[in-house]
Amino acid sequence: MNRTFFARCTRLLPVLAMSLAAAAPLSRAAAEDVIRFGAPLPITGPLAPEAVKQQQGYNLWAEEANKAGGISVGGKKYKVEIVYVDYQSSTPRAVQATEQMITQDNVNFLFGAFGSGAAKAASTVSEKYKVPTLAATASSVQVYDQGYKYLFGTFTPNDTLTMPLTKIIQVKVPEVKKVAILARNDLFPLAIAQEMEKSAKAAGLEVVYFEKYAIGTIDHSAALSAIKSLSPQWIFITGYINDLLLARKQMVDQEIKAPVVTMIAGPAYQEFIDGGGQSAENITSASWWHPAEHYEGEDIFGSTANFVKLFKAKYGSEPDYGQASAALCGALFQMAIEKAGTLDRDKVRDELAKLDVVTFFGPVRFGPTGQINSLDPPVFQIQGGKPIVHVPRCHQAGRAEGGGELVKRLFRGART
Amino acid sequence: MQAVQILINALVLGCLYACIAIGFSLVWGVLNVINLIHGSFIVLGAYLAFGLYHALLLSPWYAVVIAAPLFFVFGYLLQRLLLNRVITAPVLVTLTLTFGLDLILNNAMIYFFTADYRKLILSPPLGSVSLFHVVVPVDRLIATVSALALTGLLYLLLRRSRIGRAIVAVRLDRDAAVLMGVDVKQVYAIAFGLGAALAGCAGVLMALIFPISPLTSSAYLGKAFVVCVLGGLGSVSGALAGGVLLALVEGIGATFVGPSLATTLSFVLLIVFLIARPQGLVGRKGFE
Repeated sequence: MNRTFFARCTRLLPVLAMSLAAAAPLSRAAAEDVIRFGAPLPITGPLAPEAVKQQQGYNLWAEEANKAGGISVGGKKYKVEIVYVDYQSSTPRAVQATEQMITQDNVNFLFGAFGSGAAKAASTVSEKYKVPTLAATASSVQVYDQGYKYLFGTFTPNDTLTMPLTKIIQVKVPEVKKVAILARNDLFPLAIAQEMEKSAKAAGLEVVYFEKYAIGTIDHSAALSAIKSLSPQWIFITGYINDLLLARKQMVDQEIKAPVVTMIAGPAYQEFIDGGGQSAENITSASWWHPAEHYEGEDIFGSTANFVKLFKAKYGSEPDYGQASAALCGALFQMAIEKAGTLDRDKVRDELAKLDVVTFFGPVRFGPTGQINSLDPPVFQIQGGKPIVHVPRCHQAGRAEGGGELVKRLFRGART
Repeated sequence: MQAVQILINALVLGCLYACIAIGFSLVWGVLNVINLIHGSFIVLGAYLAFGLYHALLLSPWYAVVIAAPLFFVFGYLLQRLLLNRVITAPVLVTLTLTFGLDLILNNAMIYFFTADYRKLILSPPLGSVSLFHVVVPVDRLIATVSALALTGLLYLLLRRSRIGRAIVAVRLDRDAAVLMGVDVKQVYAIAFGLGAALAGCAGVLMALIFPISPLTSSAYLGKAFVVCVLGGLGSVSGALAGGVLLALVEGIGATFVGPSLATTLSFVLLIVFLIARPQGLVGRKGFE
């Protein structure tokens, strides 16, 4: 029996050694002065690819901040540590994960959960504990209209994407009179489709088709046949990369043509352009940020070009708006903490509310609800395998060269 | 004309569903194993087609020839080495085992290929054929013909070959087959291998049509499950009948009640079948 016990203990030794080795960095981190940021993310489950993108943004910022010595708080440097908790793509678990990070992991500040739905649900917890939270991917107004003080978000409301798009298309493609809208029955894709419907109606366009498709739909042929029979001049489809690649392919298969085809949110990603190939050409879209923008910022990244360079060096690909927004959230926390000169949550919250700065992402100023109100999201079209950006504000330097020509080309030849 | 287009779309989609489901149906019918790795096998087959096309410019129809033996061996070994050990245990045990294996395979694919969506784009593209304003994409047509061919081959194998008769015998009465000298473990392994080979071939064909990502495996598995229940378990023609019925319900439902309710309708149909006709459209009573 003693031999058995001894043998068991011997077998446990490597496990114990590994546990101690794993715990060592934690104790080292605890010994240093660190600021802990909690990031509840859907690391597993259907939203896992989005979580990876968010992590890339947060990690890039943390790495840059730590490379510069950390965040300066009242003359003392604090290292950045990000605590990730997987909520398995389940919104109720996002709420639990947020509470766990505040009460057990003792994070100082929080990043919001992914997307509008989870960010809204989790914000009830961070508000209860008065932890300043920056949501990187929540655009719906309903997230911010709860009267919360500690929640801020870096995406403008959905109508800031659809309104400029409608205006530009009306000017550039005046023959557009009928619009067909097909939306994924999911919080963000449906919300943006509903905004599109409002924008189209406000602009005097006729919405001849508005339908939702279920999450996980693997065939759009019936919906597309119905759209084809109505001959709209503008086809607007919302969803994620998988849905939009499939819908686009089926449009080509069924020889469905329209002067304007808009898709949100797939075309902002290189995967969509690669996956769509020739069929991705001339598709228009809008997003909150694009790497082709040119901003000189006061944040740690300095400029859009520098952020893109750092991102490419670390991950070997171009950043998209989600990754950029995640990195921005870190950079904004850093600015607010340094301005506050303390880790006091209320003071940092007040500095966040007062922020009025230009960053690599664009100008950042939060409105009374906590949602950013200073950005003009870019509208773009895929041409020659690259997104050609139409930047609404002339002061956003760098697009001047050939800009007029781009705009002339934009939305022309969009027959697909 | 729109009605004809919807009908043609549904028939073609039905054959794709049959292609997805036939291997799943065989394994469920013969082994009484609800094979939850089936969706991941399909995705792995799609990656094989994608990789072969990009590395060697090998068209997916040639990739089918490579995928079939590869997946057969993979499935055979999986059954022989793992599943056979618990095959006589209650169905929940095999369900849990295949669930675990699916997690491993799916996460391995996420690790090696990432969860990013990829698309196999043939150069030049296959295009569509148009007849009296009814358009059918050539890739779907190829997948349809292949699905029908695979179904036919499986039917012939089960009816005309010695091993096929053994599979049918084990399906009908395992104990009697043992008494007749059938090596049941070997038959199980071959049936599972065939199921995996059919899933791999389906994956190769689906790569032409759908975006590829490990995340799509659950969608394939869900469709296979519904098709099997509608058509009848273990029945070759049942997979085809179930696939076409499901596609018709989805297509007509999407047109008349909206695309968001099409999936709901298909699951309502599933419940109706489970209550009223558990053996499926062409299944035999006692094999539900």
